[in-house]
Amino acid sequence: MARTLAQINAVTSMNLRSIPSRLWTSISTVVAVGIATGVLLSFLAMSNGFRSTVKGTGSPDVAIFLRKGGGGELNSIITREQVQLIEEAKGIAKGPDGKALLSAEMYSVVDGIKKSSGTKANLPLRGVGPNAVNVRRGIKISAGRMFQSGTAELVVGRAVSKQFKGFELGRTIRLASQNWKVVGEFEAGGSVFESEIWSDIAMLQGLYRRGSSVQTVRARMEDPNRLKELLAFSDADPRLKLDVKAETEFYANQSRGISDLILYLGWPLAIAMSFGALAGALNTMYASVDARMREIATMRAIGFGGLPAFVGTMTESLLLSAIGGVVGTLFAYLLFDGISASTLGSNFTQVVFSFKFTPELVVQGVFLSLIIGFAGGVFPAWRAARVPLLAAFREQ
Amino acid sequence: MTFFQLIRKNLFRKKLRTILTTFAIFVAFAIFGILATFQNALNSGADTASADRLIVTNKINFTLPMPIAYASRVATVPGVKLVSHANWFGGYYQEPKNFLVALAIDPQSYLDLYPEYVLPPAQRAAFLGDRGSIIVGEGLAKQFNWKLGDRIPIKSNIFRKVDGSDTWDFTVAGIMTPGSTGVDVNFVAFHYEYFKQTRSFGGDTIGWLILRTESPKENERISRTIDAMFANSPFETETKTEQAFNKAFTEQLGDVGFIILLVVGAAFGTILLIVGNTMMLTVRERTNEIAVLKTIGFTADSIFRLVIGESLLLASIGGLLGLGAAYAASIGLAAVSGGRFGVMAFSPVTALIGVGIIVALGLLTGLLPALRAMNLNVVTALGRK
Repeated sequence: MARTLAQINAVTSMNLRSIPSRLWTSISTVVAVGIATGVLLSFLAMSNGFRSTVKGTGSPDVAIFLRKGGGGELNSIITREQVQLIEEAKGIAKGPDGKALLSAEMYSVVDGIKKSSGTKANLPLRGVGPNAVNVRRGIKISAGRMFQSGTAELVVGRAVSKQFKGFELGRTIRLASQNWKVVGEFEAGGSVFESEIWSDIAMLQGLYRRGSSVQTVRARMEDPNRLKELLAFSDADPRLKLDVKAETEFYANQSRGISDLILYLGWPLAIAMSFGALAGALNTMYASVDARMREIATMRAIGFGGLPAFVGTMTESLLLSAIGGVVGTLFAYLLFDGISASTLGSNFTQVVFSFKFTPELVVQGVFLSLIIGFAGGVFPAWRAARVPLLAAFREQ
Repeated sequence: MTFFQLIRKNLFRKKLRTILTTFAIFVAFAIFGILATFQNALNSGADTASADRLIVTNKINFTLPMPIAYASRVATVPGVKLVSHANWFGGYYQEPKNFLVALAIDPQSYLDLYPEYVLPPAQRAAFLGDRGSIIVGEGLAKQFNWKLGDRIPIKSNIFRKVDGSDTWDFTVAGIMTPGSTGVDVNFVAFHYEYFKQTRSFGGDTIGWLILRTESPKENERISRTIDAMFANSPFETETKTEQAFNKAFTEQLGDVGFIILLVVGAAFGTILLIVGNTMMLTVRERTNEIAVLKTIGFTADSIFRLVIGESLLLASIGGLLGLGAAYAASIGLAAVSGGRFGVMAFSPVTALIGVGIIVALGLLTGLLPALRAMNLNVVTALGRK
């Protein structure tokens, strides 16, 4: 047993020390495995970033009221009378003024110009009142100030001012046939709200001739369990009959489509590319075994077993792919981590998100590279273990 | 033995290595073909757009309405031949996941403006004659098993009928087929008049106008005239060519094109390495043999062609198989997607680009080894051992 271990040790170190003589083949394997890993990780990071942005939006104790069957905020409509009815519902927390803590909001779509491509993209323009910040948690004005009611002033989410043209503090921008002054920028913990523009709801109702109707109502509940009561309340009153959802659930549903698409595209691609890399790894390892035929046969002749030859080749393959995996991961991380991108979310407006690497993703990447290394090493290693002794005397 | 036979024998001397390398090339070209198919699908709207069609939308955003009266006012602009209008319905069939592109249109003018949506004359007449009827794309008809004369309920996630229901029932009067490849008929359309009278809100508004100009050269002037006509009104407009409109729409999806480029580039970088490496290995192993060939009278030139020919053959086998697989996959994808992402088609252009890349790959990977083989010094090569 001890002897076998010593043999394994000797053969493996010979294998590894001979890598420089096959430098280019070995490097090409490392790079091929690296690229496959990198592609997989960048897709996973994209999907992960999008999901965490959308899923991180909303709190479980905020209920959102929408027209039944409407799905998104854009298609919803709620009348002034319905808003007043909701104020009477039990289970809604009270604000400092003793009234129900709820925020009636308008949601419309305007055109923004993307900085990266110079093309137009849909941006959400949300009309809100003072309670919008009180109902949500974690909205913070990070620069400038909040808009004043009744004026043509805007505050923009951090992601909007980063990704779209003309939203710098103090600038005037024309949206919805109206010139607005950008007076503030807000943070919302990296959530979808950071991809939004907020202004005074009364101004927007006037511009869009919506009268006193709104599109959604958000209400802070006393605790998340009161949702059922609110639902029952809405169902019981024929004048309401609205959809009531927890805000977290509302956004979780919206994230599914796009992040699944990215995921379903990413894995098959990575698997296909892994097969390509696998072919490269197999070539390299077969070349490695072929080049050392005489050497291996000679060692067998002087008493080395088949197992050390197998382990030696296997280790070489695993090491090369592991290096590839680490290099690919590092590259993908340096290139993509934290990069912002935006795409059309399910509300028909842009959602800005960042690529996000996590330790789990890195584990998945390295795992993929080791699988390639194992599959690429096992057959050549098998050949190495069964080199006929006669090969030692064969002319090469 | 002919020259080609020699190349072929050389290539398949180490069967396993050749098969593996071919497989790697196959994978790269299959990825290329399938991604290009996706890209084509996303661009199909812009590619099949007619140069003499303009789209007029609300300037604030195309999701907002405009008065129907605009249609007749736009028709008076000199150079405008025909005007039609459409309204987004937010439609779905049975469940929200069966999303439908459903439009309320002005039937006669719309079908005149879009001759590429082909309807048999009898079905066209039936559709024009029945206000409560609907025309559907052939893919959707197949997917949902709709037959001519069926009554189908279409739900809206935006509009409500006067009685409060969200379901409109229509009679299938026609099944549209695409007039040429790339034309997307995966939508349903019905009479705007009927829709207007039965909906509970929206009044006399429409979604957008489509118009045909006398010549694409007039597009600029007509766009400017129309937008100036409605400037400073409550409903300002923006007029664009159909192509620009469709392109702007897909651009909203974001950096899809960039991502595709990145992945294809990465795949090809890998393959280039693997194939180039294999060719180097092959030539190095054959140093003796090449020296012998030179000794028996092969010119440096023919040695060069021998090696380049081998790498070209290698790239062609893997590449053509890969493109073939992508073609087969595109047919499958088209059937599965039901046209939800546009028209999935493996275009001749894709095939041509693919073949171009195959040749480039073959030349590029063969070049270095071929040069080395060509310049091989016979004496040192045979003396080396």
